[in-house]
Amino acid sequence: MQKKKSFFRKNVVFTIFAVLAILVILTAVFAPVICGERDPYEGDLAQSIMKPSAEHPFGTDKMGRDVFTRVLYGARVSLLSTFILVAVIFVLGAILGVVAGYFGGAVDAVIMRIADMMIAFPGLVLAIAVAGILGASIRNAIIAITIVSWPKYARLARSLVMKIRHTDFVAAATVTGSKTMYMLRRYMFPNTLTTLVITAATDIGSMMMELAALSFLGFGAKAPTPEWGYMLSEGRNFMQNAPWMMIFPGLAIFITVVIFNMLGDGLRDILDVRSE
Amino acid sequence: MKKATAILLVLVLAIGLLAGCGSKTADSSPAGADSGASSSASSGEKALTFGCQMYSDGMICPWMQTNCAWNCMRYGISESLFEFDDNSQPVPCLAESIESSDDHLTWTIKLKSGIKFSNGVEMTATKVKAALDYVREKGPEGSSTPENFLEFDAEVTADDANNTIVIKTVTPYVNLAGNLADPAMAIVDYEGTGANYENGMIGTGPYMVKEFHTQVGYDMVKNPYYRTEVPFDSIKILFMGDASAKANALLAGQIDLAENIMSVSDLKKLQDDAGFTVDIAAGVRCGFSWMNFNGVLANDDLRHAVLMAIDYDTICHSNTIGDLYTPGFSVLPSGMGYGYETLNNPWSYDPDGAAKLLDDAGIVDSNGNGIRELDGQDIYLKYVSYENRLLNDFSDAHTQYLNKIGIGVTSDYGSSDDQWNKLVAGEYDLNNNNWNHLIAGSPTTYLGNWCSTNSANYCGYKNEEYDKLYEQLVDELDSSVRLELLKKMQQILIDDGVAVIDGYYNSCMVYNNKTVGSAHIRPNDYYWITADITPAA
Repeated sequence: MQKKKSFFRKNVVFTIFAVLAILVILTAVFAPVICGERDPYEGDLAQSIMKPSAEHPFGTDKMGRDVFTRVLYGARVSLLSTFILVAVIFVLGAILGVVAGYFGGAVDAVIMRIADMMIAFPGLVLAIAVAGILGASIRNAIIAITIVSWPKYARLARSLVMKIRHTDFVAAATVTGSKTMYMLRRYMFPNTLTTLVITAATDIGSMMMELAALSFLGFGAKAPTPEWGYMLSEGRNFMQNAPWMMIFPGLAIFITVVIFNMLGDGLRDILDVRSE
Repeated sequence: MKKATAILLVLVLAIGLLAGCGSKTADSSPAGADSGASSSASSGEKALTFGCQMYSDGMICPWMQTNCAWNCMRYGISESLFEFDDNSQPVPCLAESIESSDDHLTWTIKLKSGIKFSNGVEMTATKVKAALDYVREKGPEGSSTPENFLEFDAEVTADDANNTIVIKTVTPYVNLAGNLADPAMAIVDYEGTGANYENGMIGTGPYMVKEFHTQVGYDMVKNPYYRTEVPFDSIKILFMGDASAKANALLAGQIDLAENIMSVSDLKKLQDDAGFTVDIAAGVRCGFSWMNFNGVLANDDLRHAVLMAIDYDTICHSNTIGDLYTPGFSVLPSGMGYGYETLNNPWSYDPDGAAKLLDDAGIVDSNGNGIRELDGQDIYLKYVSYENRLLNDFSDAHTQYLNKIGIGVTSDYGSSDDQWNKLVAGEYDLNNNNWNHLIAGSPTTYLGNWCSTNSANYCGYKNEEYDKLYEQLVDELDSSVRLELLKKMQQILIDDGVAVIDGYYNSCMVYNNKTVGSAHIRPNDYYWITADITPAA
């Protein structure tokens, strides 16, 4: 118990933002409880574009929907899609990077040249192009950002694997008959894990921003999904006359991104030996 | 010493930054807005900047697409032999007069003399014939449907000596002048235009293309051969798809004139500002969503339930639409004298009735996922729409109402081109658009959209009685008989539930009083930039 206490005291930033992150996740999970019977999809046109009031603390949008409800439900869509995106990039990038670093030669060349091609374009521009071809949806936005983001993880994993690929303990494992899959699973992948986890944690915020950006531009979530980027886009036309339609989803993105960025930094401070 | 130098550098940098901010503030101050976008006015040149929606990538070739034909006329490049006045009646433009034979099969049109195209070529009777022949020859390659205005079999003969053309048709036309006023029938110099027909069409209008900027707009200059004094030396046309962008650009003085500000709050702000004039015309446009009879909406009960589920009055009177549309249930606008008051709407707003209709028809949610099923499949209607004239807002509102009775909707919003292409290809269940019903000064062509034998029937609707009435309407010359036919046809379309009617749209033109003296939007919004738009005194 004392050990736990000292861990939290020693890592104050991580502790604070971990608690806040949990709160955000709990808000998303319990959105239906917090919002009561209010449905984020159901509006009343007679109540459209109403200022914040006791009945609608964040006001109403152009379809007469309660912005507070939509912001809370938006956390579900935005967080879930971001976690899926980061997980997919993590797994894909790690596998390709480890394979490239371990096998080298033609396998390495092919994987890395594809990665180089992806990196050669500005990320969001390429993601917009991909999402434009695939069509607007959250799923396609995740695919688009995955396509442009996996090289970062692959390059990282590859360099970490290459660092140990020709070390003595790997050679010893090889001569003692360890099979390739075992080598990858037992030695290569665990060696990359810490760095990749830190990278993934610090990427949550930026990935959330990229997903919101695609939705804002019309390449992600579609009407009437309560997604923060899409809500910003919907509120854009009313920015001067009904600013609450942009302010609250914007604040939600801002707060969540800050929390997850700081959480990532805190996690890096704990896991990254170089920062000690 | 180093410290002092550093401080000095920082100070210089700070002063430089402040000076930069200061000069920028001066440029973008209200004074900048007051002077409007016509910055070159100080050099003696009268310039105008016009913000408008982009249709069909801004192309201006009349035979290619309806939108292209409209663009050409809206930008002040092309003119037709006749034009529509404020009462939507065709009056002479490039023509001087028109006479018809008693059987309405032979039409003699006297042309105005001294008209020249913007390349200096004289508009002779032969040139007029060439334009009318060419658009029909190329018509099948495009989608302007010129045959709807002048049949393929019509024969045009030119008499240069008397400056007249004679048009002989196989079928009688009620008033050919109205047909020839359509932008698709514009008199342009196809031969003189050459290869740059998409963005460099040569017409007789007050302005001509100087340069086209893809996805940005046109630089226009005055046509030196125009028959009267052209008010502006140059006009910059800027494409602005965003409803608020036009309003904000007007308020910031970046543009002088804009068509159709579609955000209610923006429009109200401009109306309340003494620096701007808002000119509104009661519309000839109807916003409606096609229902695709080749899909799930072929089911009568489902279609009728869709119509009953939507509260049209509340939508039109909401803060979102703000009465920019007048609610109605017929495809023809209520205030145009087509007997709207005599029509009966069996599908008025009744969500409980809609639910019961579906229940009775066995279209129920049997798997408990909140969506009703038809033939074992969840009903998800594909709703195609685009951001113009509040169409996406209508589509969102319809979606909301449909969800309430257990009908799912998948939104498919894109550009106007996407919407059009999906309409033509039949890739939709509901397809929202906004049409001018007075094509060629008559609702006949527009009503052809629901005639099963018409090339413009994009929804697969078929009703033999309607088809017969439409054929009668095409040939009927007596106005009282035509009115009765129109009433019957409207009632059939209402009874069959062929379209979700958004409402009847009111067009507007907004201008900065400091730079524009007058600008007027006509009910037929083929006309945006005209020689009637004048600079402020």
